[in-house]
Amino acid sequence: MAYDYQAVHALDGMIGAIAERRANHLSVHRTMAIAMVLAGPGQTAEAAGILVSNGEFEARFSGPGEWLVLSQVHAPETLAAELSVRLGGFAFVVDQSHGRVVLTLSGPDAARILANGIAVDLHADAFPVGRAANVLCNHLSLNLVRTGDQSFDLVVMRSFAGALVDDLKVMARSHDLSVDFATR
Amino acid sequence: MASLISCPHCGTRPKEEFFIRGDANPVRPAPMATDEAWNDYVHLRVNPRGRIREHWQHVAGCRRWLVVERDNFTHEVFAVTDAAKAGEGAR
Ligand SMILES: [Zn+2]
Repeated sequence: MAYDYQAVHALDGMIGAIAERRANHLSVHRTMAIAMVLAGPGQTAEAAGILVSNGEFEARFSGPGEWLVLSQVHAPETLAAELSVRLGGFAFVVDQSHGRVVLTLSGPDAARILANGIAVDLHADAFPVGRAANVLCNHLSLNLVRTGDQSFDLVVMRSFAGALVDDLKVMARSHDLSVDFATR
Repeated sequence: MASLISCPHCGTRPKEEFFIRGDANPVRPAPMATDEAWNDYVHLRVNPRGRIREHWQHVAGCRRWLVVERDNFTHEVFAVTDAAKAGEGAR
């Protein structure tokens, strides 16, 4: 018997769109291909070499021999398959496209807002563009990466996305923050 | 309680990011070791004051098991090593 499954975003109907864009903006990505890659024993260097960001996908440090790979080019269905082919026996790949939610926080106060819940030094010298880390934000664990001087990507498990957005709104209470789905 | 732990993979992090399993010194006996040896390993712990070695897991970060050497009286942290590197079989 065939079933029709419908993909529903974890935050659909949960964030009231604020039409007016404010100084700081939290953008929720609707579709992003995400995969988790874990290098085989002793094969971290080989896997890392294959995962060098190439415009097609971007690998973010998650732990030793472990990366979160995101792609704007690939569809969720094809990213994991593509990575499996490229990595061969060097690593294990698990599709996470529907398991995680990607948020982009940008604006002049982005680092200050995050500092209200994340106990990691986010000064540009200590946490430069391109640096990624798994961090604790209040009580939620997430992957944080600095994508620009004033912008960060947050990748969180799907079922925690609502709580994280609520937390971020509280963290940004003394700053101007708008929240909406990304238009792309 | 030492409040800042320098994870070898993630850098300096607050203790809230970690789960503490306890003493890192007991060595797992062979499967057919005596009941006394297993009883010691599972149940008996010394409770020293001063420098200790513990298993900590960086649950909110890299999720690796670490061996933290610290002083439970002065809160000083001496060393943080990945458990695999420390020659441990912790999982
Ligand atoms: Zn760590």
